[in-house]
Amino acid sequence: MSERFSYRDDREAYNAARVKALESLLIEKGIISSETVDKVLGFFETDFGPFNGAKLVAKAWADPEFKARLLSDTPAAIAQMDFPLGMAGAEGEYMKVVENTPKVHNLIVCTLCSCYPWPMLGLPPYWYKDPTFRSRAVKEPRKVLQEFGLELDESKEVRVWDSSAQIRWFVLPERPIGTEDMSEAELAALVTPEAMMGVAQVKVPA
Amino acid sequence: MKLQHYLGGLEGIDTEPLNFEKRVFVEPWETRIFGIHVAMMGLSKHLNKALPQYPIENVPTKFNSIWTWADLRKGAEAMNPFDYFRFRYYEKWLGGISSFFVQSGYITQEELDARTATYLEKTDAPNPSMFEPAIDDQVIDYLHRGDPAIREVDRQPKFNVGQKVLVKDVPTTEHTRLPGYLRNKTGIVDEVYQGAYAYLCSTGADGLGEPMYVYSVKFDPKDIWSDITQSNSWVYADLFEVYVEAAE
Repeated sequence: MSERFSYRDDREAYNAARVKALESLLIEKGIISSETVDKVLGFFETDFGPFNGAKLVAKAWADPEFKARLLSDTPAAIAQMDFPLGMAGAEGEYMKVVENTPKVHNLIVCTLCSCYPWPMLGLPPYWYKDPTFRSRAVKEPRKVLQEFGLELDESKEVRVWDSSAQIRWFVLPERPIGTEDMSEAELAALVTPEAMMGVAQVKVPA
Repeated sequence: MKLQHYLGGLEGIDTEPLNFEKRVFVEPWETRIFGIHVAMMGLSKHLNKALPQYPIENVPTKFNSIWTWADLRKGAEAMNPFDYFRFRYYEKWLGGISSFFVQSGYITQEELDARTATYLEKTDAPNPSMFEPAIDDQVIDYLHRGDPAIREVDRQPKFNVGQKVLVKDVPTTEHTRLPGYLRNKTGIVDEVYQGAYAYLCSTGADGLGEPMYVYSVKFDPKDIWSDITQSNSWVYADLFEVYVEAAE
């Protein structure tokens, strides 16, 4: 929506200098260390990220008992996995999974901000944080999904989950046809963050 | 009312179709303000009273404030709505967090402006050196253990699954977790979550803070927006007990 407003000519250069100034001052004043920000960013590369959610989805597809547990008691199912430490940590204290089926499609949103299940999905993409998605997803989810390339049959029920308290929601997508012979690792490689947010289906590469 | 509390259902904000930008950060500098915010949350003084009882007094940081999501949100909710839409997501973080450090007296506006001017010229100047693993360890420990909200309470939930509830029109304060589009609307309790959830701060007359039950409430979009005639869709919102009352 940038064309509606005016900005400094050096908008991004200024922002970059501003944040660098802030970080360097915080280091000098003893608030954070020279390594704090890098360590946080590294943590989101290796420990919290959609690679965890993808493994969870793949296991649920492969193991019906695990899937039942994931849907009824998400933290218990996550605790069974061979994940790094901290899967019930920040923004993952109370996670819940909803299942897409041939009859029901789920979509997650946070109309008040950008609440998101960090340990399983990492950090949210820009579209999810955009006020335009947040305003439209609750009122016209089918149209929003259509604009994202997902056409749903009129007969399919759509459930939109507004993350307005402490539960952090994500979606167990439908397993695509033609994946019967795949290993869990191969299945996990197909699962995108968008599929776990309910704006895309999992597809098998042609 | 604050527009930021009423985003759900707002029309005509931008041209269609939606921008499907899948990156988490669209400029490299955005990663830095994200990291600073996480560090502040992990060093927040309230964490000694959090359930993991972090030994926050022993962490060798000069940060001496409470900083949670609620504080970041208060900043965004206090913005002029035009500015809220004008600035990109992490630009709002940068503005809010910079103002917090100036207003709290950790840094001055003059030194922040002067340093910014310097870095506009010297874009690849290195950061100062200050190594203190105990600070970093606390931040990572916070990521690992979080800030669980559920507390023991000596009472039962007021509402049951299947019950019709009316969303209250509570007073507007500096922060809320009540989506504005649901005010004065009726829905059905779909689930009563186990345990009572405290909130990160008191929201005053809005009503959050002390531990209370939270409900998944199911709404028919036709009951929220009168121009919807058919949808075959439902909106589920997680609502704190103080936001709802029995309908009829």
